[in-house]
Amino acid sequence: MTDHLPLPPGRVTARRISKSFGGVPALAGVDLEPRPGRVLGLLGANGSGKSTLCRIIAGEMAPDGGELLLDGEAVRFATPKDGVRHGIVIAHQHPSLAPDLPVWENLFLGMERCGLGGFVSRAGSRRAAWHMLQAVGLDIDIDQPVERLSAAEQQLVEIARALSREPRLLILDEPTAALSAALVERLFAHVRALAASGTAIIFISHRLQEVEALCDDLVVLRNGHRVGSWELDGSLDEARVLDLLTGDSDVASRARDRKPQAAREVVLTLEGLAAGTALRGVDLDLHSGEILGLAGLQGQGQEQLLDAVAGFRRKDSGRIVHRGRALSPRRPRDMIRRGICLVPNDRHRQGLFMNETVGENLAAVSVAMQPQPWRLRRRALRDFVQRAIPRLLIKTRGPAQPVATLSGGNQQKVVIGKWLDGSVDVLLLSDPTKGVDLRARREIYDTIADLVAGGSAALVYASDIHELLHHCDRILVMFEGRIVEALSGSAMTEQRVIAASFGRVA
Amino acid sequence: MSAAGGLPRTGSALAIWPALRRSGLGPGLLMLAVVTGLNIALQPDFFSGASLSGNIATFAPTILICVAQAVIVLSRELDLSLGAGVSLINCVMASLPQDKVGGPLGVMAIAILVAILLGAVNGLLVAYAGLPSLVATFATGAIWFGLALTIMPQPGGVISDAIGDRYAGTLMGIPVPLLIIAVAMTGWAILARHRSGRRIMAVGSNPQAARDAGIPLRRTKLLAYLVAWILVALGAIAISAQTLSGDPRLGTSYTLASVAAVVIGGISLGGGRGTPWGALVGALVLGLVTNVIYFAGIASSWQEFVKGLVIVAALGFMVLEGQRRA
Repeated sequence: MTDHLPLPPGRVTARRISKSFGGVPALAGVDLEPRPGRVLGLLGANGSGKSTLCRIIAGEMAPDGGELLLDGEAVRFATPKDGVRHGIVIAHQHPSLAPDLPVWENLFLGMERCGLGGFVSRAGSRRAAWHMLQAVGLDIDIDQPVERLSAAEQQLVEIARALSREPRLLILDEPTAALSAALVERLFAHVRALAASGTAIIFISHRLQEVEALCDDLVVLRNGHRVGSWELDGSLDEARVLDLLTGDSDVASRARDRKPQAAREVVLTLEGLAAGTALRGVDLDLHSGEILGLAGLQGQGQEQLLDAVAGFRRKDSGRIVHRGRALSPRRPRDMIRRGICLVPNDRHRQGLFMNETVGENLAAVSVAMQPQPWRLRRRALRDFVQRAIPRLLIKTRGPAQPVATLSGGNQQKVVIGKWLDGSVDVLLLSDPTKGVDLRARREIYDTIADLVAGGSAALVYASDIHELLHHCDRILVMFEGRIVEALSGSAMTEQRVIAASFGRVA
Repeated sequence: MSAAGGLPRTGSALAIWPALRRSGLGPGLLMLAVVTGLNIALQPDFFSGASLSGNIATFAPTILICVAQAVIVLSRELDLSLGAGVSLINCVMASLPQDKVGGPLGVMAIAILVAILLGAVNGLLVAYAGLPSLVATFATGAIWFGLALTIMPQPGGVISDAIGDRYAGTLMGIPVPLLIIAVAMTGWAILARHRSGRRIMAVGSNPQAARDAGIPLRRTKLLAYLVAWILVALGAIAISAQTLSGDPRLGTSYTLASVAAVVIGGISLGGGRGTPWGALVGALVLGLVTNVIYFAGIASSWQEFVKGLVIVAALGFMVLEGQRRA
């Protein structure tokens, strides 16, 4: 590609961008041409380089090779400020906000609305902030610090900020992961209007139906290479996309082979378990060899249930019976001793030691729980780590790689892997595939299935219904802190789960 | 959406209580009430004019230096060289030929210039060279102390009486120390409404987000150091006006005091949370504690010991209070 045509004005083009982290290439010469007035869908598994590419285009990261063209002229961005100045704005997957500052200040971070002499015009900013948030459907107190907001609200603040900067190129990095369907629809209306006014938009999502609904063009990345790109005319060729994403068209279609639960031994019983206002009395039986799914709308007590069973929070009333013994956990260690382990929701904050290596993270639990604390079983730990990496299919250079440089899906595998050294009897998982691509999702559930095949059991909460339908033996639906429906066999349908999620039981 | 939101409430003058809770100032104010009560009990004429202005004159340097530390802490850094810096500025002031540099005004101007220079060195090392502030400023503190000892190996030298008289006097009927504090706090109030001040808070709260939003990280941190060291200069002048001589160990105790006051004032050592008003409260608490120790007749050899105990107790109280609220 040496003969470049002159570009129309206002156009940002990435040419042969390459970037590696610690010797592992994340991008290998990728072109991207978002066109004004169109929405470009950027698809790729976790670790395929989507986020890296977008950060480079926005000037938040310098490429190792390749160039950015602005209206055909090569430009170099030294800081994110340069990107913003050229009208390139990014809404991050993980909101990039100052947690202590009020909502309205975050909306103008770095671009404060100032009056004479650089003094922040408070009244004007607050009024504008309110309108910006109304536009994305967020009705909140704009004076509260951002850290008080829920994940979805923070995401909307991040998006509202990006939309308001009148970008010529807007990058939305998984903006919908935390949003409800109604808010997604509202966001899409905005994005379409922005595109109609001539803005180029890059849209990243793992949800294929969203890409189909919103995007005009499509680019698929795999392992830092651009493996496909075409114009969409209203419909997405799903088989072709999955094929390109994974190099494996079989990925979405392998459902769990469900075994009858007839005479299986009960591993864990909950009776009237209640904790706080979110968990109001839950009864359930978890059987040996079973993957039990917890469904329902977000925030119906699923996470509190897992926290209470794992000893992360104390129960107020009810019984937790594990293998015939009633337990009152005071701290996670009490339950880990009995093989009841939680894979937490927030892997960055709760699941990983982000500054340490893959090997250290995998061995962390074994080190903390080993019976002789004064003697570090170095050889055994090393062997365990060496076995765990291939067993979980963790894509890494080796145990010494910093865990922070892994992709999201591989980080999640490490979180699960750290429990595999001990004898896990009950594995609790809270949204284990959040922000994880299809292939890694299947691999994670394969690992769980392997684990329960040995006689233990898994209790999984996931926000994605299809994921649960696909991988679980039974599904319990939670509504307002209670289980309102138990589904198994042919009753496990999307319709039944959704109906029960809204409290409507057949 | 719904009409419930309505237009944003204008201003938040009436929202003092939520603002107070968010500021984390509650425990600090409670402690202030307790130590004030103890002071009144031990010193019945606490509220007399002479006693009050004497106290304010004594507390002013502590307050200024604690507020200086607060500005730096808000930007998510630390400065452990403040105390040694005060000593160095004091020694420079005392060793100057007072009449040849333009009298009291000249001496004070030089003090401020020296402070800006020290602040610039710390700021450049931390913000531009990227050294961790905890260690870098501990080291520069040793350098400031060494320089102070070189200039003035023994306590001595003379600072013009004119400075002392001015400090002890009044201006427009207001005691000068009170005026200095008012000017410093007003200065912060102005900065806090300015883009630059807001950026200091943003950088302290989440440096990555600030950088992503196009805020110049290094320039903002340097600014925090410079602003802080101007306050340190005022503090050093205030204390010099009371001692009227040079002492290379004069400022040593202020470093610990400033960090303690910041914590008592509810300012997060993680940056971005709190206000310099908290440091003002913290400084008052520490000053009044010193008073209590003095008036309770505790032997001078035990004063540092008791002071350390009180600071540990105060911090423990802060932590417990913080956990209870969480």
